[in-house]
Amino acid sequence: MRCRFRMCGAMSLIGAWAFAACLVAVSSAQEIKVPASVTAGDESVISTTGSGSATFYLVGPGVSRKSEVSLGQEIPLRAQDLRNAGSYMAIVCSGTCQSTGFYVSATKPASLAFLVHPSRVPVGQSDAVSGVAFPFDQFRNLVLAPQTINFQLTAGNSALLSREVRSQDGVAWFRTTSGKSAGLMQVNAALEGITAKRAVQQVASDPCNLRITGQRVATGIVVQTEPVHDCAGNPVPDGTIVTFTATEASGKNTVDAPIKKGIARAQMAASGAVLVSAASGVVIGNDVRIEAQR
Amino acid sequence: MSCIVKSDTQPRIATIAIAKLIVTAVVVLLASSSNLYAADATAQVQLNVAKAGPRAVESLTERGILRDYRFAWMSMAQALEFNTVDPLEGPFAGEAKKWLRETVANQQRSGISQRYMNQNHQLEAVFYAPEGDVMELHDTAEYQLQVSDGGKLIHDEHVIVHYVILMTPAADQWVIRQLQAVPQF
Repeated sequence: MRCRFRMCGAMSLIGAWAFAACLVAVSSAQEIKVPASVTAGDESVISTTGSGSATFYLVGPGVSRKSEVSLGQEIPLRAQDLRNAGSYMAIVCSGTCQSTGFYVSATKPASLAFLVHPSRVPVGQSDAVSGVAFPFDQFRNLVLAPQTINFQLTAGNSALLSREVRSQDGVAWFRTTSGKSAGLMQVNAALEGITAKRAVQQVASDPCNLRITGQRVATGIVVQTEPVHDCAGNPVPDGTIVTFTATEASGKNTVDAPIKKGIARAQMAASGAVLVSAASGVVIGNDVRIEAQR
Repeated sequence: MSCIVKSDTQPRIATIAIAKLIVTAVVVLLASSSNLYAADATAQVQLNVAKAGPRAVESLTERGILRDYRFAWMSMAQALEFNTVDPLEGPFAGEAKKWLRETVANQQRSGISQRYMNQNHQLEAVFYAPEGDVMELHDTAEYQLQVSDGGKLIHDEHVIVHYVILMTPAADQWVIRQLQAVPQF
């Protein structure tokens, strides 16, 4: 029982404007009893005592219902009024108002909200891939009861990770290192037959062992890399920039060249002895010494 | 409070004096009522991010959560008191927005309204995703809840309610996607 109020004693002294309402605590005949626990989407009943007619209110998340009821009889609560998990209040007014609250909890999981990051990741990066899963019931209530969620990461035919995580406060998560091979990584979260699938594109990491060769041409020099790979042997994607630097007696000359079909190539003006080096990202390649035309 | 007036046994001057008293009382009541609304339009929010993980909550994010959560509750209170969905645009998204809109629509039909007054929220961040794209919070909310039917007060109670909240960053603010009351944490 929560409230016990009655609007009473409106009195008039000098015309219609002189009304004052006062709240008087009164004893009440009716009582209402709500179920101890209600699961979302289930029907339920509220029992009342007393006799006569009364107004019944149900106030809760998504619900604001008013109906006439007979005291002493059960008030049915429709399943559609109890779909949202949360706090509800039942109020019965018959001269006085009485109220009591109850909670509706989520039902069993029906779906998983699964967030995976990033969508594209270099191989071999520690703690680079993470996933967060929230179980929801069929009414989109967050399921707070602990659930065991199985996270599985696969690339091609090889399993990269299989981890069971118990949800806490309605959330389970993982974080792991990306795989060794470029290509698609399948990331799954599974819970009691419910599976959420996401994909992460694994790409080559930074170039490794950058090696260049060069030769003299009529207008200067031409330098190019050998096929550029990361340290795991994955070809570095086309478009990755390789910076060539030619140092000669008269100064330095720098050219940025994108990798095309696995190789970066640049033509540079030069004369005399030239020392050429290459770099991509934080990786520095070998130096080559070329004798250009004077 | 009870009031007893026997106007038929009093001299006329006494009746006028009582009438003036009542008028004054009504004016004071109305004035205090409007002041009450102005005072009630705010929500006190304290945020604790010490237990948030696995990602640490940056101070800028902390301030944003505090600002947007407070605004969301003020908006919700306004929507449920005046039965309008406009305040829900912006601070709410997803399921939270859906059931709040349903509540307002049903209140419009039934003539019910709710007032959330003297709000005090003890908010605690319990989970912050590794990439910072979702945060779960627990709120121990304390407020005076009034339910009215056509302006007639049918319920008035000081309540403490526990809420589980999911917030996600939107373009320029954090929005509440899930707002679910629970018996306890």
